[in-house]
Amino acid sequence: MPDDTKPEGASAPEPTSEPAAKPGAEQPAPAEAQPAAEAAPAASAPEKPPAAPAAGGQPAPKPAPAAKPAAAAGAAKPAAAAAPKAPAAMAATPWESDLTRALKEEFGDQILDFSSYAGQNFLAAKPEAAVPILESLKEIHDFDYLVDVTAVHWPDKPEPFEIVYIVYSFARNERIRMKIRIPEGYKPRTAVPVHLTANWLEREVYDMFGVEFEGHPDMRRILLPEEWETFPLRKENSILKMDQHWVQENLGIESGQ
Amino acid sequence: MKQLLRKVFLADLIEGLRVTFRHQHPKQIVTEQYPQERPKIGERYRGAPRLNINPDNGETLCIACDLCALACPENLIVVGWERNPETKKKELVTFTYDISRCMFCGLCEDACPVDALELTQDFEMASYTREGAILDRQTLENGLLPTRYRF
Amino acid sequence: MADTFLDSTELVLNMGPQHPSTHGVLRVILKLDGERVLGTECVIGYLHRGVEKIAENRTWQMFAPYVDRMDYVAAVSNGLGYCLAVEKLLGVEAPPRAQAVRVILTELNRIASHLLWLGTHALDIGAITPLFYCMREREYVLNIYEKYCGARLTTHAFRIGGLQYETYEGFEKECLEFCDLFEKKIDEYEELLTGNRIWQQRLTGVGILTAEDCKEYGVTGPMLRAAGVKWDIRKAQPYSGYEKYDFEIPVRENGDTYDRYIVRMQEMRQSVRIVRQAVADIPAGPILAKVGKVIKPPVGEAYVSIEAPKGELGYYVVSDGSTQPYRVRIRPPSFVNLQALDKMCRGALVADVVAIIGTTDIVLGEVDR
Ligand code: SF4
Ligand code: SF4
Repeated sequence: MPDDTKPEGASAPEPTSEPAAKPGAEQPAPAEAQPAAEAAPAASAPEKPPAAPAAGGQPAPKPAPAAKPAAAAGAAKPAAAAAPKAPAAMAATPWESDLTRALKEEFGDQILDFSSYAGQNFLAAKPEAAVPILESLKEIHDFDYLVDVTAVHWPDKPEPFEIVYIVYSFARNERIRMKIRIPEGYKPRTAVPVHLTANWLEREVYDMFGVEFEGHPDMRRILLPEEWETFPLRKENSILKMDQHWVQENLGIESGQ
Repeated sequence: MKQLLRKVFLADLIEGLRVTFRHQHPKQIVTEQYPQERPKIGERYRGAPRLNINPDNGETLCIACDLCALACPENLIVVGWERNPETKKKELVTFTYDISRCMFCGLCEDACPVDALELTQDFEMASYTREGAILDRQTLENGLLPTRYRF
Repeated sequence: MADTFLDSTELVLNMGPQHPSTHGVLRVILKLDGERVLGTECVIGYLHRGVEKIAENRTWQMFAPYVDRMDYVAAVSNGLGYCLAVEKLLGVEAPPRAQAVRVILTELNRIASHLLWLGTHALDIGAITPLFYCMREREYVLNIYEKYCGARLTTHAFRIGGLQYETYEGFEKECLEFCDLFEKKIDEYEELLTGNRIWQQRLTGVGILTAEDCKEYGVTGPMLRAAGVKWDIRKAQPYSGYEKYDFEIPVRENGDTYDRYIVRMQEMRQSVRIVRQAVADIPAGPILAKVGKVIKPPVGEAYVSIEAPKGELGYYVVSDGSTQPYRVRIRPPSFVNLQALDKMCRGALVADVVAIIGTTDIVLGEVDR
C-alpha cells in the first residue's frame, strides 16, 4: 500500500480521486502511446497535428503534444507495472441447437462460432454479416426485440472494438448475443433499418467509443456535448483525462475534476 | 343511462371531493414541523461520521489500519499515522474525512475491523464553506458542532 | 382565401431543459403547426456522469453504490440488477433468506417508484391532490428503507452475494402494516382519478404505442404491457426467487396513456400481493453467500436483466479476471423508452406532450447516467 504518497497533514484529499492502490493496473504504457498516433476520427481536433505524415521536418513524430500532459497524468503510476499479464481466455463452451444449425446453414462461415458462457448463448460473426444476421433473426427466428447495442474496447487486440448486440425473442423467451470485432476506423453498417431502437443505442456507442455506423440517419453525439473531443470509454482515456479544453471554454472553470 | 346520470350529477367529481375532504380531518395531518419537531431517525441511519473513542480511557479506537480509506469508492478518507518507537505499534495522528464528496454508502463503516469509524444519526451537516465540509480528527471524535446560522 | 396574412408557419418550440413537467433536465425541441406537434427531438445528457467509466476504475464492490444514483427513485432495483449480474459472473447465488428480503425490498421499491410517477403525472395533468397522498404513502416505504439499511433513497441495500444488513426487529410487521394500509390507499387514488372525467379525457387515446411499435422501439415495462404484450421478466425469466410467488401480469389492450395508468395501478396491487407472500415466508439462514472479501470474478461476461419499475434494466458485465470490472454496460429502460417519445408525440397536441412525457416515466439520472 503506497502509504507514503498520502499527504500527512490535514490537507484536503482532493488530488487523489482515483483509487490510490489499483490492484492489477490495466493500462500498460504502450497502450497509452498508441491512441495518440491514431488521431481519433473527430474532425474537430484543432491543436492536434495529424499524426500520420511521416515526412515532416520534425525529428520526433512522437505522440501529439496535446495529448501528452493528460496521458502522463493518467499513466504515471501504471508505467512501472507495465508487464501485461497474458489475459486468460473466457472458458466458454460450444453452443448447439436448432437455431445455430439454421443460422449456420444460412450464413456459413460468416459466423465464426457459437458459444455459451454462464448459461448464456452468444455468437461471433464477421462485421459485414451483423445486420443480415439481425434481420434473419428477426424475420425468420422471431428475435423481434433488440435489447441493447454496446461495445467493449480491447486496446491490445488487433481488432480493438467488439460490438455486442443483444436480442430477445418474446415468442421463444430466449436471449442471445451477437458480437462482431472491428478494427479502428471500420464503420459497421447500422441496424436502424432492422430495429428502430438501434438509433440511440448506436449513437451512444459512437459517443463513447467513436465507432461510426455506416448509413445511420443521425450520427451525432448523444450524451456528451457536440464539441467534445475525446471518446471517454476508450481504455486509453483514463478517468482523469477529460476534455479540459471544452470545460474551460464552456463552463469557465479550470477543470471538471 | 347510468353513465349519463353520473355525468349530469358530477358523480365523479363528488367522489373525488369526498376523498379530499376526508383528509382534512386533523387526525390525517402528517406534516412535520421540522426545526421545532425533530424527526425520528432510524437506528442504522448513515449520516455524519464519527470516530469512536474508548469511553474508559478516552483513547481512540482506531488502529490506523487504513482499511476504511481503501474501501471508500470516493477515496476521501486520509489516515495519517506514525509508528510509536516504543511499542512498535501504529498510532493514529490525523484523520481527514471530506463529507463534501461522501455518498454515505457505508462501505468504510463496514470495512472497519474495530468499529472505530461509524456513520451516525446526525443528518445536519450543512456548512457555509467548502472547507467546512472537510472534517479533521478532532471534529470526528467530538461530533459535528451544530451549524450557527447567519440570519 | 389565400391570404398571406393568415398564412401559418411552423414554429419551433424549446421545452426544457428546465421545465417543471419534463421531470428533470430533459430538453425537447418541438416542431409545431399551430397546436399540432409535427416532430420532436430530445436533447439529453445534462446529467451525464460517466457511470460506466467510473465502473472501470472501481472494484466490483465499490461500484455498487454508484448504480443507486442512476434511477434514484428505484435505487433498490438498480442495486439488485447489479448484484445479480456480478453473482452470475461469480457463479454464486444469494442464500434463500437474502433472496426473500431482496424481493420484499424491490417490490416496495416498485411501489415507491410508481407512487412518485403517479403523483407527478397527475400533477402534470392538473390534479394536485394525489401528489400529496402519494408522497405520504411513499414515506412509509422510505421509512422502512431507512430502518433497514440506513438510507432513504440511495440505499445501497444489497451486496454482491446477498445482504449486508439483517432485517430489523419489526420489519415483517411494518411491511404487513404498510400492505394493509396501502391497499386502501390505492382504492382512494382510483376514486380520485380513474373515474374522473377530466383525467379520462386528457389520457384516453393519447400517446398510443401499439405492440409492434413497442417491440420496434424496444419499449419495455408497463408501456409494453399496456399495449397488450403479457411480458414481465419476473415471469419470463424469473430471478431472485420470483418463481415462488403467485402474482399476475396486468395487461391492457389500447396502449394509450390511460391504459398505462391502469397497468401501473394494477402493478402496485400485485406488488402488495408479492410483499405479503414474501413476508409470510422469509426463510431462516445466512444472508450472505461465501464470496470473500476480495471479489475477483473469472474472465467472462454476462448479461443479466431484471424487471425494474420502468422496464427492462440490464447489466452487461465483462470481467478480465481482476478485482475491477473491465466493462459494465447498463441498459437503462428510461433511455430506450424515451426514444419512442417522438413516435408518441407526432400528431398530438402540445398539451398532450406533457402527458406523454409523464406516462413514459423517465428518470433523467438513468437516461443520462
Ligand atoms: S460512506 Fe462511502 S463514500 Fe463516504 S467515506 Fe465511507 S466509503 Fe467513502
Ligand atoms: S478502518 Fe477503522 S481502524 Fe482502520 S483506519 Fe479506518 S477507522 Fe481506523
